[in-house]
Amino acid sequence: MSAGRAWAAGAGLDIPSAPRCVTQTRCWTPPVIPGHEARSVESLCWAAGDRLFGAGLGGDITEYDLSGLSAARGVDGGGGPIWSMVANSTGTQLAIGCEDGSVKIFQVVPGGIQFERNLDRRKGRVLCLSWHPSDTHIVAGSIDFFRVIDVTSGQTVQRIMVNYHVEKAKRECVVWAIALLSSGTVVSADSFGRVQFWDWEQGTLAESHTVSTSAVLSLAVAQEDSIIVGTSTGATYHLQLLPVRLGGLEKRWVRTKPFQFHSHDVRAVAHSPTALISGGLDAQLVIRPLMEKVQKKSYDAVLRKFTFPHRRLVSCARKARLLLFQFSQYLELWRLGSTEETGKDGEVLPLCRMPEHLVQLKSKGPEHIYSSCVSPCGTWLGYSTASRFQLYRVHCDGDGVSLRKVPKVPKLLPPAYQLQFSADSESLFVASARGSVHVFQLLEPGGCKHLHTLRPPSGCSEAVYLLAPSADGHWLAAVSGDWAIHIYNLKCFKHHCVVPTYDCAVSAIAIHPSTNNLVIAYSDQQLFEFSIPEKQYTSWSRTVQSRGLHRAWLERDSPITHITFNPKNPSHILLHDTYLLCVLDKSLPLPDDSALLMNQSTLKQLPETARKRQLHAFKICKKFQPLLFMDLLDKNCLVVVERPIMDFKTQLPLPVQQKKFGT
Amino acid sequence: MNLDKAFKATLSADVYRIHSLPQGGALVLFRGGAVRTLDVLLEAPQQEIENLISAEAIRWSGAFMEGQQPVLIFTTEKDRNFFVYVQKPKLCSLHKYKLEQQGSAKPLCFTAHITNQTVTLLCLYSNNSVYQVLIPLQQNTEEEEEKEEEILSKSLLLNLSVSGAVLKGTSLVVLDKDHIAVLGSLPEPGKKPKECLTIWNTKFQTLQTSKELPLGTSGQLWCYEEKFFLIHGKVLTVIMYKCETSSLAAAVGKLKDSQTLDVSSFVNWNTLEDEELVVSFQSQESVALKAESRMSLRSNRSTVAGQSGPLSVGQLLLRLKDSSNYVVETELKKLMAKAPTPDLQATIGCVVTALTDRCKRNPKFYPQNLLQEIVETRDLSYSLCPDLMAVALEQKDLHLLQMCLERFPDIPEEITYACLKAFLSVSEDHLKSVDVNLDSAICYVDVELNDMEVKTEILENGFSEEMDQDMCDTKIPQESRSVGESCPVGLQKAALLNAVLHSAYTETFLLPHLKNLPAQQAVLFLRYLYYLYVKCSEKVNTTLPGIRSPTINQIMDWMCLLLDAQFTVMVMLPEAKDLLSNLHKFVRAQVRFYSELNKIEGSLRELQRLNHLRESQTYSIEVLEII
Repeated sequence: MSAGRAWAAGAGLDIPSAPRCVTQTRCWTPPVIPGHEARSVESLCWAAGDRLFGAGLGGDITEYDLSGLSAARGVDGGGGPIWSMVANSTGTQLAIGCEDGSVKIFQVVPGGIQFERNLDRRKGRVLCLSWHPSDTHIVAGSIDFFRVIDVTSGQTVQRIMVNYHVEKAKRECVVWAIALLSSGTVVSADSFGRVQFWDWEQGTLAESHTVSTSAVLSLAVAQEDSIIVGTSTGATYHLQLLPVRLGGLEKRWVRTKPFQFHSHDVRAVAHSPTALISGGLDAQLVIRPLMEKVQKKSYDAVLRKFTFPHRRLVSCARKARLLLFQFSQYLELWRLGSTEETGKDGEVLPLCRMPEHLVQLKSKGPEHIYSSCVSPCGTWLGYSTASRFQLYRVHCDGDGVSLRKVPKVPKLLPPAYQLQFSADSESLFVASARGSVHVFQLLEPGGCKHLHTLRPPSGCSEAVYLLAPSADGHWLAAVSGDWAIHIYNLKCFKHHCVVPTYDCAVSAIAIHPSTNNLVIAYSDQQLFEFSIPEKQYTSWSRTVQSRGLHRAWLERDSPITHITFNPKNPSHILLHDTYLLCVLDKSLPLPDDSALLMNQSTLKQLPETARKRQLHAFKICKKFQPLLFMDLLDKNCLVVVERPIMDFKTQLPLPVQQKKFGT
Repeated sequence: MNLDKAFKATLSADVYRIHSLPQGGALVLFRGGAVRTLDVLLEAPQQEIENLISAEAIRWSGAFMEGQQPVLIFTTEKDRNFFVYVQKPKLCSLHKYKLEQQGSAKPLCFTAHITNQTVTLLCLYSNNSVYQVLIPLQQNTEEEEEKEEEILSKSLLLNLSVSGAVLKGTSLVVLDKDHIAVLGSLPEPGKKPKECLTIWNTKFQTLQTSKELPLGTSGQLWCYEEKFFLIHGKVLTVIMYKCETSSLAAAVGKLKDSQTLDVSSFVNWNTLEDEELVVSFQSQESVALKAESRMSLRSNRSTVAGQSGPLSVGQLLLRLKDSSNYVVETELKKLMAKAPTPDLQATIGCVVTALTDRCKRNPKFYPQNLLQEIVETRDLSYSLCPDLMAVALEQKDLHLLQMCLERFPDIPEEITYACLKAFLSVSEDHLKSVDVNLDSAICYVDVELNDMEVKTEILENGFSEEMDQDMCDTKIPQESRSVGESCPVGLQKAALLNAVLHSAYTETFLLPHLKNLPAQQAVLFLRYLYYLYVKCSEKVNTTLPGIRSPTINQIMDWMCLLLDAQFTVMVMLPEAKDLLSNLHKFVRAQVRFYSELNKIEGSLRELQRLNHLRESQTYSIEVLEII
């Protein structure tokens, strides 16, 4: 099987601008709210249960519509750029720290937030805030000092200079992160690399730990006796309050564990009961279990690293051999190269035609692109931002390519969370809010008509984020934010059935071209096969469930992001995640835990006759990493898009230089 | 001296004094005039001691070395007659002389020194005069034996009169051939006589200088290593002095310009005042008194004024010409302690040149430690002191040569060669006692042959046995190991040779000299180079451990050079044949090994290039087989 292979020159990262705080990491295929150029997010917080608020240098406080996956309401903070925002312990109030030195309290009310009052304003931007657990005081960190504000009176009751004792006081000392413990201790983390413990009532410095030579940027406290800090060198440090003597009462903060998992700034840290979590500018999320808190040697006890994105940013026009790359504010259309040669495994074949960058399409306005798609025949192209939906007709005249915008696209409520053309390129499915899917009919030479809107019969509040049409144009599967998979009959535009609920996020779906079986990949790495005509799981799927998948398969970190099929061999299912691509051969036995899951290299060394006994259903190839996209062009041609880590690291600001091994 | 081993021995006769001699051990002088070496005495403490002097009482005794012979001289008194005995305990010879009478005056103090087989005995008489008695040492003993009491004639050396007053001397020491020091008291009319230390020039019969000692002395004066020791009041005072060649001008106090040649300055108390070592506490009073006593004598006024500061370079150079080792050392230490000035380097160069000049003139003068210190602490170069290495070669000062080779950047090839030859020719036994810096060799030269396991282990790093045999069908590992096994030279010699390897040279100039190297030495040197080469090859990074150890390039360059220079000789020598053949095989094996490594390197490069190609190429079509 020869594989066409393209390397993306760049693809947008999902993290709009590395959020300054990480608060929840339960969901593995997180829904994505695309960003906005003018609204960088400096601070995020959960309040009033599960409402998410964000604030940034735009000066607005935005509540996010988690079911609609969009920024819902914005309120002007009124103090210039907002550097920090924290909710109180009950989640009823938000405090923001502004550029002008003010700290403002907002009341969280149903349907929005309401300005409550200003606290004492002092000169110097407020970079970080922390509520006392009893909500009586707020500590606000600025440049060179921090202050403690009494919430009831609104007055500053203590102001402490943090660089008072430092020789190098000529540089300003930025307090990047701060925490107020219930004991009255203030923990400050500053740009001199210090983590300091203050008694704010006395105004005295209790302890000072210089953990790094570069700035400490983030800080999180758990149980009042465990702190994790992240530095600009990409290191995280764990500090613990430990008794000086075993069994003694006197306790001290001790820097216990240093970790170096990131290459760039650690912008956010979080502390779960059993793990330290850090998110960095290098687009990685690291979960480091605390070994003393983990009882068994299990999946939980292993360090986890997540690289984003976990969704499809590339679409492929199989017949036209085009690839569409989605960046945050533009699209690129490429034509794949070709070869006339064949060769042995691993050989690089000479190209008879080079890949061709056909067109770059810039989206207008500051909004980031939500979704994009190119039709299988390569003649249609569509994308959507938060407020607009655009459809283009692609004209290939000789070597040149021209795009013509389709006029009078039916007005719908954007955004489109997912766009999908039918296999015959005659209709377009638009995933929309509240579980609805719009079906457009595409008209030659460049028109579009709204045909129907499919809705789940029981109604749904969440947006649809995955779509899968069948090759024969008969069926459409749609996954919404509540993880329910609805199947519609496109012949009569009727709801056909719903796949039995499985309490996990769906990461990819696809319908088999010949059997019309729906293959579902969940983010817990389970695989299901659901027969649409029979409205039930297939026997193979039941076998898989009863046998169980291989442990090594289940313990992978990155979810399956795309599923496709081999038209020549109906038993083949092709899947991929960030680190592997897999040909799942249903005709072969499933591997049990004792077998080697990644056995391709072993097989290649065996003679043909001996291979038979070793074969199992999972044929895994890890040659291409990290994998952004994979699709089958025709029976023996596979396109693979890699996103080299180095490639996007070079686009990041330089990390703080570190000495390594005395160089 | 080991005090733990001290034991008591009771002798059969009374001991007068024990003299110790620099190389001759200790001599015991008995009251009866007999002399025994301490060793002999301790072997049999109760041995009979003869009485040589019946009723005479020993007044003074002194011991000296004449050549390898200890000589003991003592004077005795009996009924106002004084006798001098000269004993050579090794030869069992004894001579007795009678001192010529001198009216009513009697000798108060003696001192003696030996020059040119002659004992010069100086006697301070109670008539305030110093007499000199010459006693020849080599006589035909047999004949002289017969004579009874040869009478020694004496000559007046000096009258201790100071501008009319007469110094009543109590002790006397000889400083050099023209100078003596006398401790005595000078009577002053109407006052208590004041005691003073005086130095006299015997050549010109003048008092050179004097120092008043107002607190009184015990009347005794000792002198060791250019220092006077005397008891001044309650204090042991140590006074340093210097003697310079006497000249008339200096003697009469007419020394005008201290910089003019042939004029020497004389003892100057004031410059040395700071160095007075006061052993016990000193009262304020005595300090005040000393300040008064700083008044110097008329004759020295001018010199005192000119020389109160540190010596100028010219003076220093003059002084270096003939002052004793100790003086030279202290002066130079002072100079070197000075803060670095731009011309200090040049000054030190001059000083070293002056020292080497003196060494050349007087082979006995060789301030080894001083020179080593200078070379070690100063960035000298060969051109700054061109004779230093020649002198060091002459003196066989290997350590100094090693230092020079390691430090001088501009040694002529001729000298380098001379050093090499000297190093190769010096015997290992002799080297054992020589102190050289072993840092460059100690880390890899195996002193013992018992660390076999360690080495075989290391060897595998460089090339394994099998691999070697694969590459060349001879049994090189065994052979090369047997040769490279142990260092052909001792540790000291290795360190010295390393210094040679380290020195800079130009092949063209060195080659003609190397041709003169005796064949045996050339083979030894080649053997050592081969050993180094094998040692180097054992390590992956082909460097030898240690400080200043030779690099592989230095070793190879010298090896090539030596082979170029000596090849015809080597080919002829039977003992070099094995060495050459082993060397050839080893080098061939190394060359093959490295060519293999080069191939691997090339392959790796190619892989890297391919990899790079893959990296840089953002688009490719590859064949992927999935089974």
